[in-house]
Amino acid sequence: MNKARYWGWVPTSIALTGVILFIFATFGPPASSSGFVTTLKGILQPIAPDYVAGKEHYAMMPGPGSWLMTFVLGMAIGGFIGGRTMKKKIHDVPEIWVKNFGGSRKKRYIATFIGGVLILFGARLAGGCTLGLFISGSTQLAISGLYFGVIIFAVAMITARIVYKKYGKGVL
Amino acid sequence: MDNLWLGLISGVLFGFVIQRGGATDADEMVKAHLMADGRVPKFMVAAVALSALGLYGLQSVGVGRVMVLPVSIVATGLGAVIFGIGWGLSGYCPGTCWAAAGEGRMDAIFALLGGFVGTLLFAQLHETLIPLLYLPTSMGPVTLTDWLGEPGGVLTLFVVFAVMVWLIGRLWGTPAEE
Repeated sequence: MNKARYWGWVPTSIALTGVILFIFATFGPPASSSGFVTTLKGILQPIAPDYVAGKEHYAMMPGPGSWLMTFVLGMAIGGFIGGRTMKKKIHDVPEIWVKNFGGSRKKRYIATFIGGVLILFGARLAGGCTLGLFISGSTQLAISGLYFGVIIFAVAMITARIVYKKYGKGVL
Repeated sequence: MDNLWLGLISGVLFGFVIQRGGATDADEMVKAHLMADGRVPKFMVAAVALSALGLYGLQSVGVGRVMVLPVSIVATGLGAVIFGIGWGLSGYCPGTCWAAAGEGRMDAIFALLGGFVGTLLFAQLHETLIPLLYLPTSMGPVTLTDWLGEPGGVLTLFVVFAVMVWLIGRLWGTPAEE
C-alpha cells in the first residue's frame, strides 16, 4: 500500500533550488519561523492591541498582511496538494514513534507540542529556522546560517539517538 | 498586494516540493537524524550549494534582494541547541510543520500549536533575552566573502557542501524499501 516513493535527492534539490532562487529574485531571503510571529501578531492585535504595540518582537515584524504570512499559509496548501496527489499513507503517529513508544496518540501529540515550543523558541532567539537561517543564510554565505546549521544538525542527531533508542533492522 | 500573491505561490511551490522530498514525514526526518537514510539531508545540503551558486549569478546581474542576519555566538548557538532538541524529538521544523499540517498529519498540527506557544514565550522575553544573550556576542552580519573574498567565499561553500553530500552518502545508510 506504500508503493509511492518520495523523490530522490537529485530532483528534490534541483526543484528546491528553483523555488529558493525564485523567492530571492521576487522577494528576498525566504523564512518560515517569522510567519509564526506575523500570524500571532494578527491574532493578538485585536485582542490586546496595547500589549502587541509595546512588544519589540511584534513591532519588528510586519503584520498578517505580508509575504511572510501568505508564505506559511501557502506551504500548508502545498503540503495538502502534495499529500492528496501521492498514494502514500499518512500517519498521525510516525511508525518509528510507535515502535519506540507504542500507538498512544496523546503521548505523541504532547511530544510534538513540546517539540514545537522548542523549535520556535530556539529559532526566535537565534534569528531564524532551518529555512530562514540555515538555508537562506548559507545561500547568502552568512556565517550565522552556517554556525546555526552545524549545531542544529549535531544536536538533533544526538537527541534522536536518545529519544528513538529502538532503530536499525526491523524498525526502519 | 503583489507581495501577498507572490508569498502564497512561493509557499505552495515550497510546500509541495518538501512534501515530495519527504521532509514533511517525521519518519523520514528521524531516519535522517539517526543516520539511517541520507536522502533528506543530501537534498537539503545540495540545494544550499546550488542556491548559493545561483544567487551569486543572480546578484552579478543585479537581480534579487539579500539580507544577511548577524551572528551572535551565544544567542545563535543557544537558540540552535534548543532548536535541535525540538527538531530531533519531533522530526518537525518551523517550515515543515505547516506543510505537514496541510497534509493532514495530526501530530504536526500539535507541533504547529506548540510553535505558537514558543513564539509567544520568546516575544514576551525578547526585551530581557536580546540585550542579555544576543547583543553582547554579536559579530554583525559576517559572510564567507568577508573572510575569503570574491568569488573565494561562494566557491569554498560550494566545494565544502558538495563534499558533505558525498560524505552523507558514505556515512548514512540506505534503507531497503518496504
